[in-house]
Amino acid sequence: MILKRLVGVITVRRGIAVQSFGYRRFLPLGDPAVLARNLDRWGVDEILVQAIDRGLAGPDLALLDRLAAAGLSTPLIFGGGIRSAGEAIAVVNRGADRVTVDQLLHDAPAEVEAIAAALGAQAVIAALPLAVQPAGLQWRDYRTGREGTLAPEVRDLFAAGHVSEALLVDWRNEGTPGTFDEALVAAFPLPHAPLILFGGLGAPEQTARLFAEPRVAAIAVGNMFTWREHAVQALKTALPGARLRPAHHAGTGA
Amino acid sequence: MRRTIGIIDYGAGNLSSVQRAFHALGHRARVTAETDVLDAADLLVLPGVGAFPHAMAELAARGLDRYVRDAAQAGRPLLGICLGMQLLVEESEEQRLTAGLGLVPGRVGALPGGGWHIGWNRLEVTGPDPLFRPSDRASVYFNHSFAVEVPAACRAAVARAGTELVAAIRRERIVGLQFHPEKSQAAGRALLARIVDALCAEPAE
Repeated sequence: MILKRLVGVITVRRGIAVQSFGYRRFLPLGDPAVLARNLDRWGVDEILVQAIDRGLAGPDLALLDRLAAAGLSTPLIFGGGIRSAGEAIAVVNRGADRVTVDQLLHDAPAEVEAIAAALGAQAVIAALPLAVQPAGLQWRDYRTGREGTLAPEVRDLFAAGHVSEALLVDWRNEGTPGTFDEALVAAFPLPHAPLILFGGLGAPEQTARLFAEPRVAAIAVGNMFTWREHAVQALKTALPGARLRPAHHAGTGA
Repeated sequence: MRRTIGIIDYGAGNLSSVQRAFHALGHRARVTAETDVLDAADLLVLPGVGAFPHAMAELAARGLDRYVRDAAQAGRPLLGICLGMQLLVEESEEQRLTAGLGLVPGRVGALPGGGWHIGWNRLEVTGPDPLFRPSDRASVYFNHSFAVEVPAACRAAVARAGTELVAAIRRERIVGLQFHPEKSQAAGRALLARIVDALCAEPAE
Protein backbone atom coordinates (compact mmCIF):
# COMPACT_ATOMS: atom_id res chain seq x y z
CA MET A 1 0.00 0.00 0.00
CA ILE A 2 1.31 3.39 -0.97
CA LEU A 3 2.44 5.32 2.07
CA LYS A 4 1.75 8.92 2.92
CA ARG A 5 4.69 11.31 2.76
CA LEU A 6 6.27 13.99 4.86
CA VAL A 7 7.87 16.49 2.52
CA GLY A 8 10.64 18.81 3.66
CA VAL A 9 10.37 22.22 2.02
CA ILE A 10 13.34 24.47 1.33
CA THR A 11 12.34 27.97 0.30
CA VAL A 12 14.99 29.76 -1.74
CA ARG A 13 15.22 33.49 -2.40
CA ARG A 14 18.13 35.07 -4.24
CA GLY A 15 19.88 31.70 -4.18
CA ILE A 16 19.80 31.50 -0.37
CA ALA A 17 17.55 29.25 1.72
CA VAL A 18 15.26 31.36 3.87
CA GLN A 19 12.83 30.95 6.70
CA SER A 20 9.63 32.38 5.30
CA PHE A 21 6.68 33.84 7.16
CA GLY A 22 3.65 34.13 4.91
CA TYR A 23 5.98 34.87 1.98
CA ARG A 24 6.20 38.37 3.44
CA ARG A 25 9.13 38.22 5.83
CA PHE A 26 12.30 36.23 5.35
CA LEU A 27 15.24 35.24 7.50
CA PRO A 28 18.34 33.85 5.80
CA LEU A 29 19.28 30.24 6.59
CA GLY A 30 22.19 29.61 4.24
CA ASP A 31 23.10 27.13 1.53
CA PRO A 32 20.06 25.19 0.26
CA ALA A 33 22.28 22.19 -0.49
CA VAL A 34 23.31 21.94 3.17
CA LEU A 35 19.67 21.96 4.25
CA ALA A 36 18.83 19.37 1.61
CA ARG A 37 21.64 17.15 2.82
CA ASN A 38 20.27 17.36 6.38
CA LEU A 39 16.74 16.47 5.29
CA ASP A 40 18.16 13.59 3.26
CA ARG A 41 20.05 12.27 6.29
CA TRP A 42 17.04 12.63 8.56
CA GLY A 43 14.89 10.49 6.26
CA VAL A 44 12.28 12.93 5.00
CA ASP A 45 10.15 11.27 2.31
CA GLU A 46 10.56 13.94 -0.37
CA ILE A 47 12.32 17.28 -0.60
CA LEU A 48 10.61 20.26 -2.24
CA VAL A 49 12.87 23.12 -3.23
CA GLN A 50 10.85 26.18 -4.17
CA ALA A 51 12.73 29.14 -5.62
CA ILE A 52 10.19 31.86 -5.01
CA ASP A 53 11.77 34.78 -6.84
CA ARG A 54 12.47 33.30 -10.25
CA GLY A 55 9.40 34.75 -11.97
CA LEU A 56 10.28 35.03 -15.64
CA ALA A 57 13.97 34.33 -15.08
CA GLY A 58 13.63 30.61 -15.69
CA PRO A 59 14.62 27.85 -13.28
CA ASP A 60 17.82 28.23 -11.27
CA LEU A 61 19.86 25.46 -12.87
CA ALA A 62 22.99 26.42 -10.92
CA LEU A 63 21.04 25.78 -7.73
CA LEU A 64 20.03 22.38 -9.08
CA ASP A 65 23.66 21.58 -9.82
CA ARG A 66 24.53 22.39 -6.21
CA LEU A 67 21.71 20.16 -5.00
CA ALA A 68 22.80 17.35 -7.31
CA ALA A 69 26.34 17.64 -6.01
CA ALA A 70 24.97 17.00 -2.52
CA GLY A 71 24.31 13.41 -3.65
CA LEU A 72 20.77 13.23 -2.33
CA SER A 73 19.12 9.85 -2.05
CA THR A 74 15.70 11.40 -1.40
CA PRO A 75 13.26 12.25 -4.20
CA LEU A 76 13.54 15.92 -5.18
CA ILE A 77 10.69 18.17 -6.29
CA PHE A 78 11.77 21.46 -7.81
CA GLY A 79 9.72 24.55 -8.51
CA GLY A 80 10.28 28.13 -9.49
CA GLY A 81 10.55 29.87 -12.82
CA ILE A 82 9.68 26.96 -15.11
CA ARG A 83 8.24 28.51 -18.29
CA SER A 84 8.28 25.66 -20.79
CA ALA A 85 8.49 21.93 -21.30
CA GLY A 86 12.10 22.36 -22.32
CA GLU A 87 12.94 23.97 -19.00
CA ALA A 88 11.08 21.27 -17.08
CA ILE A 89 13.09 18.61 -18.91
CA ALA A 90 16.29 20.51 -18.10
CA VAL A 91 15.29 20.56 -14.43
CA VAL A 92 14.77 16.80 -14.42
CA ASN A 93 17.99 16.21 -16.33
CA ARG A 94 19.78 18.21 -13.60
CA GLY A 95 18.54 15.92 -10.82
CA ALA A 96 14.91 16.68 -9.95
CA ASP A 97 12.36 13.89 -9.99
CA ARG A 98 9.27 16.08 -10.24
CA VAL A 99 8.43 19.72 -10.89
CA THR A 100 5.88 22.16 -9.54
CA VAL A 101 4.26 24.69 -11.81
CA ASP A 102 2.20 27.67 -10.69
CA GLN A 103 1.95 30.58 -13.11
CA LEU A 104 2.41 28.25 -16.06
CA LEU A 105 -0.93 26.62 -15.24
CA HIS A 106 -2.59 29.91 -16.09
CA ASP A 107 -0.21 31.48 -18.58
CA ALA A 108 0.46 28.48 -20.81
CA PRO A 109 -1.52 25.33 -19.98
CA ALA A 110 -0.37 23.81 -23.28
CA GLU A 111 3.18 23.85 -21.90
CA VAL A 112 2.00 21.94 -18.84
CA GLU A 113 0.47 19.38 -21.18
CA ALA A 114 3.80 19.20 -23.04
CA ILE A 115 5.67 18.63 -19.77
CA ALA A 116 3.34 15.75 -18.96
CA ALA A 117 3.86 14.28 -22.43
CA ALA A 118 7.63 14.44 -22.09
CA LEU A 119 8.11 13.45 -18.45
CA GLY A 120 4.85 11.73 -17.56
CA ALA A 121 2.08 13.40 -15.58
CA GLN A 122 3.41 11.78 -12.43
CA ALA A 123 6.22 14.32 -12.60
CA VAL A 124 3.88 17.33 -12.68
CA ILE A 125 2.50 18.99 -9.55
CA ALA A 126 0.20 22.01 -9.63
CA ALA A 127 1.22 24.54 -6.97
CA LEU A 128 -1.82 26.53 -5.91
CA PRO A 129 -1.57 29.38 -3.38
CA LEU A 130 -5.06 29.41 -1.90
CA ALA A 131 -7.16 30.94 0.84
CA VAL A 132 -10.75 30.52 1.93
CA GLN A 133 -12.20 34.02 1.85
CA PRO A 134 -15.78 35.28 2.33
CA ALA A 135 -16.15 34.88 -1.44
CA GLY A 136 -15.09 31.22 -1.22
CA LEU A 137 -11.87 29.48 -2.26
CA GLN A 138 -9.54 31.99 -3.87
CA TRP A 139 -6.35 31.40 -5.88
CA ARG A 140 -3.71 34.08 -5.39
CA ASP A 141 -1.64 35.44 -8.25
CA TYR A 142 1.54 36.25 -6.39
CA ARG A 143 2.70 38.57 -9.18
CA THR A 144 -0.18 40.97 -8.72
CA GLY A 145 -1.51 40.01 -5.30
CA ARG A 146 -4.96 39.61 -6.84
CA GLU A 147 -7.26 36.75 -5.92
CA GLY A 148 -9.85 34.88 -7.95
CA THR A 149 -11.58 31.55 -8.29
CA LEU A 150 -9.66 28.53 -9.53
CA ALA A 151 -9.39 29.00 -13.28
CA PRO A 152 -11.13 26.60 -15.68
CA GLU A 153 -7.83 25.82 -17.41
CA VAL A 154 -6.44 24.46 -14.13
CA ARG A 155 -9.46 22.24 -13.66
CA ASP A 156 -9.08 21.06 -17.28
CA LEU A 157 -5.45 20.08 -16.72
CA PHE A 158 -6.49 17.86 -13.83
CA ALA A 159 -9.44 16.42 -15.72
CA ALA A 160 -7.22 15.55 -18.68
CA GLY A 161 -4.70 13.80 -16.44
CA HIS A 162 -1.80 16.16 -17.18
CA VAL A 163 -1.18 16.91 -13.50
CA SER A 164 -0.78 14.24 -10.84
CA GLU A 165 -1.08 16.09 -7.53
CA ALA A 166 -2.19 19.47 -6.23
CA LEU A 167 0.05 21.34 -3.81
CA LEU A 168 -2.37 23.43 -1.76
CA VAL A 169 -0.39 26.31 -0.29
CA ASP A 170 -1.96 28.15 2.61
CA TRP A 171 0.05 31.28 1.84
CA ARG A 172 -1.49 33.31 4.66
CA ASN A 173 -0.40 30.91 7.40
CA GLU A 174 2.85 29.72 5.88
CA GLY A 175 5.61 29.82 8.49
CA THR A 176 3.56 29.28 11.65
CA PRO A 177 3.14 25.60 12.62
CA GLY A 178 -0.34 24.50 13.60
CA THR A 179 -2.19 27.22 11.72
CA PHE A 180 -2.95 25.56 8.37
CA ASP A 181 -6.51 26.40 7.36
CA GLU A 182 -8.17 22.99 7.15
CA ALA A 183 -11.13 24.51 5.33
CA LEU A 184 -8.92 24.56 2.23
CA VAL A 185 -9.18 20.79 1.91
CA ALA A 186 -12.97 20.75 2.03
CA ALA A 187 -13.23 23.75 -0.29
CA PHE A 188 -10.87 22.42 -2.97
CA PRO A 189 -13.21 21.58 -5.83
CA LEU A 190 -11.41 18.66 -7.47
CA PRO A 191 -12.35 15.65 -5.35
CA HIS A 192 -10.15 13.13 -7.12
CA ALA A 193 -6.91 15.10 -7.05
CA PRO A 194 -4.35 13.78 -4.54
CA LEU A 195 -3.29 16.61 -2.27
CA ILE A 196 -0.01 17.83 -0.86
CA LEU A 197 -0.67 20.38 1.87
CA PHE A 198 1.76 23.16 2.76
CA GLY A 199 1.72 26.28 4.89
CA GLY A 200 1.44 26.39 8.65
CA LEU A 201 1.90 22.64 9.10
CA GLY A 202 4.12 20.60 11.40
CA ALA A 203 2.16 20.44 14.65
CA PRO A 204 1.51 16.73 15.37
CA GLU A 205 -2.20 16.97 16.19
CA GLN A 206 -3.11 18.85 13.04
CA THR A 207 -0.78 16.74 10.90
CA ALA A 208 -2.40 13.53 12.20
CA ARG A 209 -5.88 14.92 11.58
CA LEU A 210 -5.04 15.88 7.99
CA PHE A 211 -3.29 12.60 7.23
CA ALA A 212 -6.56 10.88 8.16
CA GLU A 213 -8.15 12.53 5.10
CA PRO A 214 -8.00 9.97 2.27
CA ARG A 215 -7.23 12.69 -0.33
CA VAL A 216 -4.16 13.91 1.53
CA ALA A 217 -1.15 12.12 0.03
CA ALA A 218 1.52 14.26 1.63
CA ILE A 219 2.13 17.01 4.12
CA ALA A 220 4.91 19.49 3.50
CA VAL A 221 6.75 21.25 6.27
CA GLY A 222 9.20 24.11 5.89
CA ASN A 223 10.61 26.09 8.75
CA MET A 224 10.04 23.52 11.47
CA PHE A 225 12.13 20.88 9.69
CA THR A 226 15.02 23.25 9.15
CA TRP A 227 15.32 25.08 12.43
CA ARG A 228 15.34 21.99 14.62
CA GLU A 229 17.58 18.96 14.16
CA HIS A 230 15.81 15.63 13.69
CA ALA A 231 12.39 17.30 13.59
CA VAL A 232 11.47 14.89 10.78
CA GLN A 233 12.00 11.84 12.95
CA ALA A 234 10.32 13.53 15.91
CA LEU A 235 7.20 14.29 13.91
CA LYS A 236 7.06 10.79 12.44
CA THR A 237 7.41 9.31 15.92
CA ALA A 238 4.55 11.52 17.10
CA LEU A 239 2.26 10.13 14.37
CA PRO A 240 2.03 6.41 15.19
CA GLY A 241 -1.30 5.97 13.43
CA ALA A 242 -0.32 7.60 10.16
CA ARG A 243 0.57 5.40 7.19
CA LEU A 244 4.14 6.67 7.01
CA ARG A 245 7.57 5.16 6.64
CA PRO A 246 8.97 4.78 10.12
CA ALA A 247 11.42 7.37 11.37
CA HIS A 248 14.89 6.72 10.00
CA HIS A 249 18.02 7.43 11.98
CA ALA A 250 21.09 7.43 9.76
CA GLY A 251 23.89 5.21 10.93
CA THR A 252 21.76 3.20 13.33
CA GLY A 253 20.26 0.86 10.77
CA ALA A 254 16.82 1.85 12.11
CA MET B 1 35.16 -5.28 -5.14
CA ARG B 2 35.17 -1.97 -7.01
CA ARG B 3 33.28 -2.31 -10.28
CA THR B 4 32.81 -0.17 -13.36
CA ILE B 5 29.22 0.79 -14.06
CA GLY B 6 28.23 1.90 -17.55
CA ILE B 7 25.19 4.17 -17.38
CA ILE B 8 23.69 4.32 -20.84
CA ASP B 9 23.10 7.91 -21.93
CA TYR B 10 20.32 8.11 -24.47
CA GLY B 11 19.05 11.52 -23.39
CA ALA B 12 16.47 10.24 -20.94
CA GLY B 13 16.40 12.00 -17.63
CA ASN B 14 18.09 12.10 -14.34
CA LEU B 15 21.35 10.25 -14.91
CA SER B 16 23.45 12.12 -12.39
CA SER B 17 21.45 10.76 -9.44
CA VAL B 18 22.06 7.22 -10.65
CA GLN B 19 25.74 7.93 -11.18
CA ARG B 20 26.13 9.44 -7.70
CA ALA B 21 24.39 6.45 -6.13
CA PHE B 22 26.99 4.11 -7.59
CA HIS B 23 29.81 6.46 -6.62
CA ALA B 24 28.48 6.44 -3.06
CA LEU B 25 28.82 2.65 -3.09
CA GLY B 26 32.47 2.96 -4.09
CA HIS B 27 32.13 2.00 -7.74
CA ARG B 28 33.27 3.79 -10.86
CA ALA B 29 30.25 5.01 -12.82
CA ARG B 30 30.42 6.43 -16.32
CA VAL B 31 27.53 8.09 -18.13
CA THR B 32 28.07 7.57 -21.82
CA ALA B 33 26.61 6.68 -25.19
CA GLU B 34 30.02 5.51 -26.44
CA THR B 35 29.95 1.78 -26.98
CA ASP B 36 33.69 1.35 -26.46
CA VAL B 37 33.31 2.90 -22.98
CA LEU B 38 30.27 0.71 -22.29
CA ASP B 39 32.27 -2.32 -23.44
CA ALA B 40 34.59 -1.79 -20.48
CA ALA B 41 31.78 -1.76 -17.91
CA ASP B 42 31.09 -4.65 -15.56
CA LEU B 43 27.42 -3.70 -15.31
CA LEU B 44 25.27 -1.82 -17.82
CA VAL B 45 22.55 0.38 -16.39
CA LEU B 46 19.59 1.53 -18.44
CA PRO B 47 17.88 4.37 -16.57
CA GLY B 48 14.97 6.39 -17.87
CA VAL B 49 12.36 9.04 -17.30
CA GLY B 50 9.59 9.91 -19.73
CA ALA B 51 7.59 8.09 -22.35
CA PHE B 52 8.35 4.66 -23.78
CA PRO B 53 8.13 5.47 -27.54
CA HIS B 54 10.42 8.48 -27.23
CA ALA B 55 12.94 6.48 -25.20
CA MET B 56 13.03 3.62 -27.70
CA ALA B 57 13.44 6.11 -30.55
CA GLU B 58 16.34 7.80 -28.75
CA LEU B 59 18.03 4.44 -28.09
CA ALA B 60 17.62 3.47 -31.73
CA ALA B 61 18.90 6.83 -32.97
CA ARG B 62 22.17 6.14 -31.17
CA GLY B 63 22.33 2.48 -32.16
CA LEU B 64 22.08 1.60 -28.50
CA ASP B 65 19.00 -0.61 -28.82
CA ARG B 66 21.02 -3.16 -30.75
CA TYR B 67 24.00 -2.71 -28.44
CA VAL B 68 21.96 -3.39 -25.30
CA ARG B 69 20.23 -6.37 -26.89
CA ASP B 70 23.49 -7.90 -28.03
CA ALA B 71 25.17 -7.27 -24.68
CA ALA B 72 22.37 -8.85 -22.67
CA GLN B 73 22.06 -11.79 -25.03
CA ALA B 74 25.80 -12.34 -24.65
CA GLY B 75 25.25 -12.67 -20.91
CA ARG B 76 26.51 -9.27 -19.77
CA PRO B 77 24.85 -7.95 -16.58
CA LEU B 78 22.13 -5.36 -17.20
CA LEU B 79 20.03 -3.31 -14.79
CA GLY B 80 16.99 -1.32 -15.96
CA ILE B 81 15.57 1.35 -13.67
CA CYS B 82 12.00 2.69 -13.90
CA LEU B 83 11.36 3.37 -17.60
CA GLY B 84 14.61 1.49 -18.21
CA MET B 85 13.00 -1.62 -16.74
CA GLN B 86 9.96 -1.19 -18.97
CA LEU B 87 12.19 -0.98 -22.04
CA LEU B 88 13.45 -4.50 -21.30
CA VAL B 89 10.15 -6.18 -22.20
CA GLU B 90 8.57 -6.90 -25.56
CA GLU B 91 6.17 -3.99 -26.06
CA SER B 92 4.35 -1.08 -24.49
CA GLU B 93 0.95 0.45 -25.05
CA GLU B 94 2.07 3.87 -23.75
CA GLN B 95 0.91 6.53 -26.25
CA ARG B 96 0.99 3.92 -29.06
CA LEU B 97 2.01 0.28 -29.35
CA THR B 98 5.82 0.28 -29.45
CA ALA B 99 8.25 -2.61 -29.50
CA GLY B 100 10.70 -2.81 -26.61
CA LEU B 101 14.05 -4.52 -26.36
CA GLY B 102 12.40 -7.92 -25.92
CA LEU B 103 14.94 -9.20 -23.40
CA VAL B 104 12.28 -10.25 -20.91
CA PRO B 105 8.88 -11.63 -21.94
CA GLY B 106 6.10 -9.23 -21.07
CA ARG B 107 4.39 -5.98 -21.90
CA VAL B 108 3.79 -2.55 -20.47
CA GLY B 109 0.31 -1.21 -19.82
CA ALA B 110 -1.33 1.68 -18.01
CA LEU B 111 -1.94 1.31 -14.32
CA PRO B 112 -5.48 0.14 -13.57
CA GLY B 113 -7.79 3.15 -13.48
CA GLY B 114 -5.29 5.23 -15.42
CA GLY B 115 -3.76 6.73 -12.31
CA TRP B 116 -0.29 7.07 -10.90
CA HIS B 117 1.80 5.21 -8.39
CA ILE B 118 3.72 7.94 -6.61
CA GLY B 119 5.56 7.68 -3.33
CA TRP B 120 6.97 5.08 -0.99
CA ASN B 121 5.61 1.56 -1.04
CA ARG B 122 6.67 -1.73 0.48
CA LEU B 123 8.23 -4.47 -1.58
CA GLU B 124 6.93 -8.00 -1.35
CA VAL B 125 9.65 -10.30 -2.60
CA THR B 126 8.04 -13.19 -4.42
CA GLY B 127 10.76 -15.80 -4.45
CA PRO B 128 13.87 -17.07 -2.69
CA ASP B 129 16.37 -15.07 -4.78
CA PRO B 130 19.03 -13.94 -2.26
CA LEU B 131 19.55 -10.79 -4.27
CA PHE B 132 16.05 -9.57 -3.39
CA ARG B 133 15.16 -11.50 -0.23
CA PRO B 134 16.74 -8.96 2.20
CA SER B 135 14.59 -6.22 0.61
CA ASP B 136 11.33 -7.91 1.54
CA ARG B 137 9.09 -5.33 3.30
CA ALA B 138 11.54 -2.52 2.51
CA SER B 139 9.95 0.77 1.48
CA VAL B 140 11.18 2.19 -1.82
CA TYR B 141 10.23 5.18 -3.96
CA PHE B 142 7.96 4.74 -6.99
CA ASN B 143 6.99 7.38 -9.55
CA HIS B 144 5.24 5.94 -12.60
CA SER B 145 1.95 5.61 -14.43
CA PHE B 146 2.65 2.53 -16.57
CA ALA B 147 3.69 -0.88 -15.31
CA VAL B 148 5.05 -4.13 -16.69
CA GLU B 149 3.33 -7.47 -16.70
CA VAL B 150 5.71 -10.43 -16.91
CA PRO B 151 5.42 -14.20 -16.40
CA ALA B 152 5.62 -15.32 -12.79
CA ALA B 153 9.05 -16.84 -13.37
CA CYS B 154 10.46 -13.38 -14.09
CA ARG B 155 8.83 -11.62 -11.14
CA ALA B 156 11.16 -10.84 -8.27
CA ALA B 157 9.04 -8.46 -6.21
CA VAL B 158 5.64 -6.82 -6.25
CA ALA B 159 4.03 -3.85 -4.53
CA ARG B 160 0.38 -3.26 -3.73
CA ALA B 161 -1.49 -0.10 -4.60
CA GLY B 162 -5.10 -1.17 -4.86
CA THR B 163 -3.84 -3.86 -7.17
CA GLU B 164 -0.65 -5.89 -7.39
CA LEU B 165 2.11 -4.22 -9.40
CA VAL B 166 5.35 -5.76 -10.61
CA ALA B 167 8.11 -3.91 -8.75
CA ALA B 168 11.16 -5.92 -9.78
CA ILE B 169 11.98 -8.50 -12.43
CA ARG B 170 14.87 -10.81 -13.02
CA ARG B 171 15.91 -13.06 -15.86
CA GLU B 172 19.35 -14.51 -15.30
CA ARG B 173 21.76 -11.53 -15.37
CA ILE B 174 19.08 -9.01 -16.32
CA VAL B 175 17.36 -7.14 -13.47
CA GLY B 176 14.68 -4.48 -13.70
CA LEU B 177 13.44 -2.20 -10.93
CA GLN B 178 10.25 -0.21 -11.39
CA PHE B 179 11.14 2.01 -8.43
CA HIS B 180 14.09 4.35 -8.01
CA PRO B 181 16.77 2.71 -5.85
CA GLU B 182 18.92 5.83 -6.20
CA LYS B 183 16.15 7.81 -4.48
CA SER B 184 15.18 5.20 -1.90
CA GLN B 185 17.72 6.13 0.75
CA ALA B 186 19.30 3.26 2.72
CA ALA B 187 16.95 0.61 1.36
CA GLY B 188 17.82 1.54 -2.22
CA ARG B 189 21.55 1.69 -1.59
CA ALA B 190 21.54 -1.74 0.04
CA LEU B 191 19.72 -3.29 -2.90
CA LEU B 192 21.97 -1.59 -5.46
CA ALA B 193 25.02 -2.90 -3.64
CA ARG B 194 23.68 -6.46 -3.77
CA ILE B 195 22.73 -6.10 -7.45
CA VAL B 196 26.27 -5.06 -8.37
CA ASP B 197 27.77 -7.89 -6.36
CA ALA B 198 25.37 -10.55 -7.62
CA LEU B 199 25.23 -9.61 -11.29
CA CYS B 200 28.93 -8.93 -11.64
CA ALA B 201 29.91 -12.22 -10.04
CA GLU B 202 30.91 -14.83 -12.56
CA PRO B 203 27.89 -16.91 -13.58
CA ALA B 204 27.79 -20.45 -12.26
CA GLU B 205 28.76 -23.06 -14.83
